[in-house]
Amino acid sequence: MSELVERVAVLRDEVLDVSGVGASDACAEIFEAVLSALTLGTESIAGIDVTVQDSVARRLAWGDSESQLLADAEWLFDRLLIACERAFRDHDDQMVVIEAATGVSVMLSRALARHAVARAARDRASRLREEMAQRQLLDAVDKQAQRIAERERELAERAGEARDGDGLTER
Amino acid sequence: MSRGAIVIEAAGSTDVGKVRAGNEDSLLVDLDLGLYGVFDGMGGAKAGEVASQTARDAVLAYVTANADQLPPMDLVENSLLHACAAVFDAARADRSLHGMGTTAVVCFVPEVHRPRSAVIAHVGDSRAYLWRQGRMSQLTRDHTIVAELLSRGMISVEDAENHPYKNVLSRNLGAKFEAAVDVVAIDLRAGDRLLLCSDGLFGFASNEGIQYLLGSGDAAADVARDLIELALRGGGGDNITTLVIEAGAAPASNTQVVRTTGAASWWQEQPRFVAAARAQGLGRSPLCRGLPPEEAIELVAGSFCEALFHDLEKSTGVNVWTFAQNLGAGWLDHGGDWSVLRAVLDTLHAAAVEVVDAIRVEERRLASLLDIAVARALIVAELAVGNLLADRLRGVERELVFLHAVAAAAEPHGESGRLPFSDDPTIPFLRSKRGVSTVGLDGGLDGGLDGEEGTTARAVREVLTIARAAVPSDALLVQRSIAALEAIAVHGEDPPAVIAEARELYGMRTLDDVGLQPLFEALERVRLLFTAAVHQTRHPEATKARALRLVSTCHQRLVATVTGLLLDAVAPATERLRDAQRTTAQLRAELERLERRRAELERAALGPGAFAPVAPHGEDTVPVVWDTPPPEDPR
Repeated sequence: MSELVERVAVLRDEVLDVSGVGASDACAEIFEAVLSALTLGTESIAGIDVTVQDSVARRLAWGDSESQLLADAEWLFDRLLIACERAFRDHDDQMVVIEAATGVSVMLSRALARHAVARAARDRASRLREEMAQRQLLDAVDKQAQRIAERERELAERAGEARDGDGLTER
Repeated sequence: MSRGAIVIEAAGSTDVGKVRAGNEDSLLVDLDLGLYGVFDGMGGAKAGEVASQTARDAVLAYVTANADQLPPMDLVENSLLHACAAVFDAARADRSLHGMGTTAVVCFVPEVHRPRSAVIAHVGDSRAYLWRQGRMSQLTRDHTIVAELLSRGMISVEDAENHPYKNVLSRNLGAKFEAAVDVVAIDLRAGDRLLLCSDGLFGFASNEGIQYLLGSGDAAADVARDLIELALRGGGGDNITTLVIEAGAAPASNTQVVRTTGAASWWQEQPRFVAAARAQGLGRSPLCRGLPPEEAIELVAGSFCEALFHDLEKSTGVNVWTFAQNLGAGWLDHGGDWSVLRAVLDTLHAAAVEVVDAIRVEERRLASLLDIAVARALIVAELAVGNLLADRLRGVERELVFLHAVAAAAEPHGESGRLPFSDDPTIPFLRSKRGVSTVGLDGGLDGGLDGEEGTTARAVREVLTIARAAVPSDALLVQRSIAALEAIAVHGEDPPAVIAEARELYGMRTLDDVGLQPLFEALERVRLLFTAAVHQTRHPEATKARALRLVSTCHQRLVATVTGLLLDAVAPATERLRDAQRTTAQLRAELERLERRRAELERAALGPGAFAPVAPHGEDTVPVVWDTPPPEDPR
């Protein structure tokens, strides 16, 4: 298996289209996950899962969107399969790589989905807090407006009294 | 006729049926004597008719003569024995009447008995039933060959139904000089109903139908006629005779109260209902626009009130359903808004509550029953309107699918080869923003492929079949996922098909871990299944590799599309949070502006150089205003 991993690793530049789009750390993360899957074997679900989760977390931390990550994974999946078909004469080797790539694809999608729903839950909770704050702010705004109106009325009355005291009342 | 505490009412009816030429049944109703009977004659020509009439006359004569001298049970039994002898003698006396006979079921309700009891005697297969508190029981056992065999356990119920001697009597009046008579006595209770009938009724009407009519609460004469109508509708293959004996009126059931008093009370309050609907602002509803207010109110509130009245009377919901359907269809057809319809239903509900509350003041129990009936009617109305909406939604979906097909035909593959969305019916109605690149074989698995592609297509089919066979029958989600995978492989060149399958698979799952985990586990299980299945096939390695690649690609597209849909579905949560944050920021800015304005006013009120503190954000502290300058710090 290690020999196969090395042979797939050799395909890195071709799969990541380095000559076309330049070195892409983003997609490289996913490619590394496929290599890990080949190293660990698709039976070691936990090991691959951790690798994929790491990749997803890093990409999202860099500011990539989940949709972008999903698109990258699909792009890489397609290119890897094409590269393997071209590079490997042995059909068994091809099938091993296809299995690993598909396994990584499912895990990555699951990680993205879980991340998305967790984010949505957080966002919903934050929105609730915002709405509670808005209610308090609205109360405060109402009260301030009320006090301003009272003060303006007082000032107007005082101005009227002052005019009366000075004998400046209009006749 | 009054019989002590319990008033006995009785009425009978008889009909020749739809097949027989003459009516051989006879009926006996003597309210004064308390004697009732049904006789079903048999024999050639007019013999059957003669037999039943002879028996009836003999029973009546015997009971009239001996009513005060014998105990009721002996009296009734002897009357039938007397009738048997009379029929037998008549048959012997006239050669044309030879072999005639009759069944008989007789009920005697003696006046002197307290509490009231009824004695029932019978010979043959005419029956007596007792209806008591909603349940009907048969008081007599048929004297037929089959019934005898059945009671001795010699044949089964199924055998009895198809037995060639099903209708052959084991006993009757007139075949011999004497006949064994079965006699039974029961205590009557208020509300009981006894039914005496010939086999023309129960042979052509269901027990459920008979029970329903007996419990309908209608007058005895009406029930007797309705029972005959029931048997006629069931075929009317024999003479039909029914006799209903009613032992006083039963306490009215809740249903009867609503059907009678409730309906009447509701109808009396019609002006109040219309006035309440008017006061609730029904006339201002956009639904009533275009008509004079009074006419519109009458049209909506008046029609609803009348529909509900008819439904209360009949214990149905048909009229309110029809009203709501007509109202809703008219409004929606003119482009009306659902919320307006909803508001009108709420208005009608509020008006109905007002009417029921008015009834409650005088009749508390009735109002409670009406509460339920009105709530039920409004639920029916909402269901009717909901049904309309569902119909319209389906129509819209059909139109969208049609438009989509037209667009696809005009531009089968646009610049990107992607179509804007797919509109197969599903819930939730997610539209993927994410495109799907084509997968699979050109023309799909069903494309009639030759050569290498044809071999691959066959291998893919085999793989999916093996995978499907390995799924336990209760793993529905896995089965569904394989079906989706197959659909994508078949229609791989059609991206909307992929989206449609993903959307159907996602279905009504909740947008949380509980919703998505089982789905992804099923998808992973499918991956393992088809991977194993590829290795189980006997194709060359090259074909296996191509098949695995194709299925894996379809699987990847399916999983990615499901994930894409999920990302689309949760995206609004973030957008709404941003909106909320913007609103909060605006409110904070507004508050700061007001605080500044208030501080200016405070300063103006105190005069030049005065000090007025500003209340912190969100606190309603009253600013401290000093008449004199603040004290100096002693330090």
